[in-house]
Amino acid sequence: MALRILVAEDEARLAAQLAKALEDGGYAVDCAADGEQADFLVHTERYDLIVLDLGLPKVDGLTLLRNWRGSGIAVPVLILTARGSWHEKVQGIDGGADDYVAKPFRMEELLARVRALLRRASGFAQPELRCGEVVMDPATARVLVRGEPVRLTSHEFRVLLYLMHRQGKVVSRTELSEHIYAQDADRDSNTVEVFIGRLRRKLGVPVIETLRGLGYRLCCDR
Amino acid sequence: MLLAMHLGVMMLMHVMPRFRRGETAGVWLIAGLVMLAGVAVAWLSLQPFRKLRALLSAVRDGEVHQVDGRYPDEVQPLIDDLNTLLRDREKAVQRAIATAGDLAHGLKTPLALLRQEAERAEAAGQMEIAASIQQQVDRMTRQIDYHLARARASASGASGNARCPVAECAQGLARTLTKLYAERAVRVTVDVPEDLQVRVQREDLEEMLGNLMENACKWGRAEVTVGFVDGAVVVDDDGPGIADAMREAVLARGVRADETAPGSGLGLAIVRDLAEVYGGSVELRSSSTGGVRALLRLPIDGRLS
Repeated sequence: MALRILVAEDEARLAAQLAKALEDGGYAVDCAADGEQADFLVHTERYDLIVLDLGLPKVDGLTLLRNWRGSGIAVPVLILTARGSWHEKVQGIDGGADDYVAKPFRMEELLARVRALLRRASGFAQPELRCGEVVMDPATARVLVRGEPVRLTSHEFRVLLYLMHRQGKVVSRTELSEHIYAQDADRDSNTVEVFIGRLRRKLGVPVIETLRGLGYRLCCDR
Repeated sequence: MLLAMHLGVMMLMHVMPRFRRGETAGVWLIAGLVMLAGVAVAWLSLQPFRKLRALLSAVRDGEVHQVDGRYPDEVQPLIDDLNTLLRDREKAVQRAIATAGDLAHGLKTPLALLRQEAERAEAAGQMEIAASIQQQVDRMTRQIDYHLARARASASGASGNARCPVAECAQGLARTLTKLYAERAVRVTVDVPEDLQVRVQREDLEEMLGNLMENACKWGRAEVTVGFVDGAVVVDDDGPGIADAMREAVLARGVRADETAPGSGLGLAIVRDLAEVYGGSVELRSSSTGGVRALLRLPIDGRLS
């Protein structure tokens, strides 16, 4: 979950269902209905994961994937396709995909794979994300501080999740707001400050540092 | 040669009658030469057909794709037509496979939508409807996968002109499975002679090995090995293994098209059917670590291992 996901799928209803399921899981989701649009979005926006259909109109998924990998775009890609033969799976993985799910699929399984992929991409081996006394489980959208559950709004949750995935690294306000809102939402870095403020109050433990002029950093080892 | 024959016959008819007697030996000699020339002409003129026959059996065995080389002007048009026919046949097979593929893939997205509907019904508490739709979606999916794989194999298996390097294929699958089963952290090792080739279409070998290797990854604890033992490609896992009595059942389960037991993949049944299309076989035994060893026998270098 975390973060921003691009769903490149040409069947509108399926795309809508995917987007809804992923949004319910706490991700910000954009959709692309054809290969050109997907390519454009990948080059102009920053995604943490791409769900890619292979049979896209205009430019097919495999071509897109090979082009992205060829030009150094390393975003994790999960191929979601009707083509489920082993030959096609090998082609997809060798083309640079990180996972491959054949249609028809169980939404639950897809969500589990998305979570696993994001976790691997950020270098976490445990399903739970941990920072000092703060523990969050993206699967159930639960956050515990010293074992006590803390209620967060979905935006607060996304802010914390993003910071969790980048523990110890400086995250700028712009980067944070880019990953919290879907592409068409209003972006205002002041609201990020508001969310950070509320998060700090709710968590009650000083894990979020402000680095003047740079942004924020999640600091876990004190 | 034809010219020599013609000359000989001319001599017999026009020159010889002048020497009335005592010339019979000469007449016989010339007649004999004419006959020899006739045999040589017949033998030489059939030579291209012998060459053609050898080439045709090479086409059938898949060593070459068409009949090459120069032939006498009388035979060349026949060769050209034959090559056109071979090319058309290959194209028709490709088209048929592509159409079967398009049909199968065209059905998968609506099936994916149906499955989501079932999940929605389930979320709304309509368990019975949800379960029923799920079951039918699963059933249709298995049917499509099974028959698509079979259609592809019987088309390519019959044409017989395929060679596939086993090591390269298995390595591609190992890379793929390592990613797909990243959460299980199973190590997949390929130890197959680099030059080992089987007479199987690449897609079909990948389908067979992929299913066997995926099973091994699902059940294996830490290690999956692909090797080559006594003429068979073997896939070993270090999982819990299966009881002797179950082995045949596992291979047979779900084979004949309208199997409805949920979760019973057609994976192994597909492997068996594909292997049989190529005159091979698949068998399950115990691996040295107590897990399963799957043995896949396929025609190697023209001979069945």
